[in-house]
Amino acid sequence: MSVRLKSTMGCYVIVLPSLILLMIFVYFPVFWAFFNSLFEFEIGAPSRFVGLANYGEYLVQDPTTLLSLTNMLVLTLLAVAMRLTFPLVVARLIYALPQERWRYIYRIVFLVPIVVPGVAVQLIWAGMIYSDFGLLNELLRTLGLSHWARGWLADPQTALASIALVGFPFVGGFEVLIYYAGFSAIPESVNEAAALDGCTGLQKFFRIDIPMVLSQLKLILILTLIAGVQGFENVFILTRGGPGFETTVPGLWMYFNAFSFQRMGYACAIGVLLFVIIFGLTLLNMKYFKSSEELQGVR
Amino acid sequence: MLIRLCKYLPLSAFLLLSAWLLWPPADESQRADVSTTHPDEAQYVVKFAPGWAYLPDTHPYGIGKPLQGLKKVIRSFEERFPDTRIELLTVPSVREYLVTQLGSGQAPDILNVNVENVWMDVQKGWYVPLDPFLEKPNPFVFERGDPTQPGYQQWWDMFRYQAISRGKAAPDGYNYCLTFDMVETGIYYNKTLFSQLRLEVPRDWEEFVSVMQKIREHRRADGSDIVPLLVNIGAFNDWTTDLFFDQLYYDLLPGIDLLQDPTREPYLQGYLDWDELAFLRHRGFFSRRDPRYCQIWETMRQLKQYTNENLMTDDLVREFVTERGAMIWTVSSLSYRLQADRDLGFDWGVFYMPHFTRQTSPYASGQPMCVIGGAATQLEITNSAVGDTDPALPMAERMARSQRLKRVVAFLQFICLPEQNAKIVNEYPGLLPNIVGVETLPILKPFEEILSRRYTTTKWIFTFDLRFSEIQQRMLELYLTGGIDLDGFLHWQEKNLDAACANLLQRKEPDMKRLEERWQELAPLRATMRDLPREGQQL
Repeated sequence: MSVRLKSTMGCYVIVLPSLILLMIFVYFPVFWAFFNSLFEFEIGAPSRFVGLANYGEYLVQDPTTLLSLTNMLVLTLLAVAMRLTFPLVVARLIYALPQERWRYIYRIVFLVPIVVPGVAVQLIWAGMIYSDFGLLNELLRTLGLSHWARGWLADPQTALASIALVGFPFVGGFEVLIYYAGFSAIPESVNEAAALDGCTGLQKFFRIDIPMVLSQLKLILILTLIAGVQGFENVFILTRGGPGFETTVPGLWMYFNAFSFQRMGYACAIGVLLFVIIFGLTLLNMKYFKSSEELQGVR
Repeated sequence: MLIRLCKYLPLSAFLLLSAWLLWPPADESQRADVSTTHPDEAQYVVKFAPGWAYLPDTHPYGIGKPLQGLKKVIRSFEERFPDTRIELLTVPSVREYLVTQLGSGQAPDILNVNVENVWMDVQKGWYVPLDPFLEKPNPFVFERGDPTQPGYQQWWDMFRYQAISRGKAAPDGYNYCLTFDMVETGIYYNKTLFSQLRLEVPRDWEEFVSVMQKIREHRRADGSDIVPLLVNIGAFNDWTTDLFFDQLYYDLLPGIDLLQDPTREPYLQGYLDWDELAFLRHRGFFSRRDPRYCQIWETMRQLKQYTNENLMTDDLVREFVTERGAMIWTVSSLSYRLQADRDLGFDWGVFYMPHFTRQTSPYASGQPMCVIGGAATQLEITNSAVGDTDPALPMAERMARSQRLKRVVAFLQFICLPEQNAKIVNEYPGLLPNIVGVETLPILKPFEEILSRRYTTTKWIFTFDLRFSEIQQRMLELYLTGGIDLDGFLHWQEKNLDAACANLLQRKEPDMKRLEERWQELAPLRATMRDLPREGQQL
């Protein structure tokens, strides 16, 4: 056995346990879900093979499908728009601060809210901002605009928008940090060359800075898309998908079917369809959204 | 090294001191284990999840002394059975928990869960039917030797509200639920405001609407308005649907109540079961072509005009006690909260939803509104209680062989003794005792009258699967808040009902032939009834 093989063999052996655990706890459940999506399956009751009937029912018969997919699309697009803009601007402003001490302080200030659990954030918005006698409605009443006060999450006209606006002003510490890391990685020679060419201010931001952090934008985009398609915690906490199905998303309907209605096979089918959507979006993203390295021809 | 460590000493000392100062005081409510028996002595440890109402050392609504009643009863039982220990548990009251725990055989031996959840799972063998025990004497009564005492002949006889208690039988005919207390809804009203506005307690629906209208037109001193009736979407979806359905379909019952369950009929009198509802749906009932069905939702929308805007709010009691609402429709346990409130600035009373008249609807029966409340604490014995037997055996055999089950059943029989039950149920005035010989506390007397009425014709949201209930509630909320019109709502509702009926027919395979025969027999009677939907599609 060659020396090289011996050394690489050791690496494979070290990686193997992680790989096995990954197969058991990640890949196997995925295949298990796909397998069960072909059955009418309920905990404690015998299963019955139904082929692709669960998929057919969800795509053709289920009255929530179109509504929930539309809601998912709207919420995801808004989340993408917010996460690709506001934190980027804030990160660039922090990067532009002249003193490292202040840059550090601002980074910390934006990062600290990350430790607040997402559920707590949603509950604060539901209880403090959106309740009948919450901050927003009381403010409107004080300003003599009581006719504008409403049950923001209970009104079909405002429920979806209210969910989308949770987290205002949309400057998440995680995104700020990622973008800041991207700005910090821009070689000083690039900045100097831009300055020599008279490229400053907004022109530099759009023509130099943004192309140089495309890798970070791509990462945030993929993560936001995945969270947008999969996630339902915020909707579950704030409205449970109501009123009616005005804020229901497919993930939430999957959850209800699995654990409330005990339609495990049907829920698995929804889960598989969500996987297909995420996979497709990620492939499109990989193919058409170039990273900064690809633009520079590094890769 | 030592110097470096010393640098952190003040910080460590500060943190430790802070932790000590902020350490929470011992919370008695966390100590749910009230047992007097030493664990080593106990041959049987019965796990009991009684729910929120009577958990020892808790304070309902945060008022008064901590509860002790159930603890005392458990001690008495353990003194009688030193080989048994009752371990109290608090468990989440969500279906997700139930399904996973019961599926794995890990659930508490005795659970407090709405029996409608049980009905969905009866075919899975997760629950123990109680009929063999209920139809025999309660041994604790029997040993006293007095044949006049309820329970001497049958344990069943100990329950005061027979219709509700026996009405909890599952669609398979067996009873899995034991209930020793009752809850009923009522409309609490601000008596002081009523006097101020010279309003009387309404006797029928028209008077009720008129009262609400007058309250709507009234303004408080600060110029703000008062919500006439505080109610949430759950009440609309559950109580209102059943009450209005009963008001409008009562006169049809002789022609559409197809099956009479020999066990339950003497108590329930014309109750429409799930298979009857599914059959009627296929005959065109409960659709846009059924004028009575449309009337239910139209009247509900009329009622909504006088209620709070946001039906999903949980703050209704606050609105009532701060006089932003004149009436609140809720359950009897609010009496305890109101009675204990020393800062309450008004007198209050209770009345029940008044009945429809022919002015309300041409289909109104004129009958008083029926009972829609019922069992409060609903105790079921789970498969864990027969865990000392072979799971491969049929349930009947497991029940016969299990020694553990004997102790579990004995405990339930023990807490049904009047002197024990009074300690639990009457410790605070929130719920009404369902055991003969236990007095209802004076403050709950209005609910005693309500509970003496005829039981509801059906329980819509508990008849079908949870998907049906979920969709109905969501679309009803949307309809009531103006998100969709009646036609749009009924379109959803028809599809929802069809899916629920199809699910029932597939899962439970009822005898539709028998229903069809009975349907034909009753045809002459229905011919005398007006505005029935067309016969509808064949099964």
